[in-house]
Amino acid sequence: MILRIIIDVFIAAGFIFALAGTKGVIQMPDTYCRMQASTCITTLGVLGVVIGAALYAFCIMGSPATGIKVVVIGLLVITINPVGAHAIAKGAYRHGIRPEKEMEIDDFRRDFDE
Amino acid sequence: MPKTKFPAVVSTFILCFAFWLLLTWSLDTQELIAGAIVSLVAALFCARFFIHDKAFWFFRPARLGALIAYVFVFLGELIKANVDVARRCFSGCTDVNPGIVKVPVDLKHDYAEAMLANSITLTPGTITLDIAEQEGKTYYYIHWIDVAELDRDKAGEIIKGRMEKWIRRIWQ
Amino acid sequence: MIELLIFAVGYAFLAILNFYRLAKGPTAADRMVAGDSMDILVTCGLMLYALFSGRGIYLDIAIISAMLGIIDTMLVGRYLDRGRWLDR
Repeated sequence: MILRIIIDVFIAAGFIFALAGTKGVIQMPDTYCRMQASTCITTLGVLGVVIGAALYAFCIMGSPATGIKVVVIGLLVITINPVGAHAIAKGAYRHGIRPEKEMEIDDFRRDFDE
Repeated sequence: MPKTKFPAVVSTFILCFAFWLLLTWSLDTQELIAGAIVSLVAALFCARFFIHDKAFWFFRPARLGALIAYVFVFLGELIKANVDVARRCFSGCTDVNPGIVKVPVDLKHDYAEAMLANSITLTPGTITLDIAEQEGKTYYYIHWIDVAELDRDKAGEIIKGRMEKWIRRIWQ
Repeated sequence: MIELLIFAVGYAFLAILNFYRLAKGPTAADRMVAGDSMDILVTCGLMLYALFSGRGIYLDIAIISAMLGIIDTMLVGRYLDRGRWLDR
């Protein structure tokens, strides 16, 4: 019973962070801030679910194959995702997408703009 | 194109085969043979893009221990940054002050630079846009959701936190 | 455990909410960010549903979905990188 409550707490924490990230993706004012909010989904949103699901698979279901697969999915998402985030941010900036409000400090533009 | 080295092939083969074992989770003879063949072919083709330096870098207790300790350090930073960004999102999304800062980094190894850049991207609130080398020094361009410090060096201290020290300990 | 099903449906609902940004987003990068987060949320939902129903096949689908989504994001990022320096 206590184990079930612990699993629920982990999954609910992940769900709350995913909710925060979704709200940020919908409501943030410019493109780069939306990217920052979506990082919230891909880190703790995934990590909470993975920890909860792995505990469930190992301790309640009793099948290590399922638990190992869940952990592999978590590691995969956590390790590969920043590469995609970096590629899309740099691509967006070089493509000419700028926030509507001028940024307070912008070294990238100072160094590379003509 | 770099040449294929033998230790790189061996270590890539071990990595692929361990991944295969984890995904299939059975010790059937036929599956083992099929996995070995597929891993060998993949290692032969991919090793030269994958490993440029010493192949068995992590097979030392000091480096492995530092890596495991780094995971916990990184988790601490991750949870702190996540709570901060989630608070901004729930309080109406107007509490942002974005900017791009240029931050100096003092790391020797290429893999160490990539690891620090990925760690910074993975913490919410900061995204690494680009890595530039000027006059022998390395700089990151980092998009920061809340510019709290206009001076570049102090901003670097705030963004990198304790992560740079631990990464230097891994890749020394 | 019925909570697993409830959270799986919740994650699917969050993915549908992200669809708003995918449809509206003014630029290509916005759409790609929303698509990426939808992909991750669907992966989480599939994982929870696999545990609820006890069928391992959903986990394999979740692995493939996560991998393809990340490759997808990288591809569009590299494509956008080739553009000129335009000032909006």
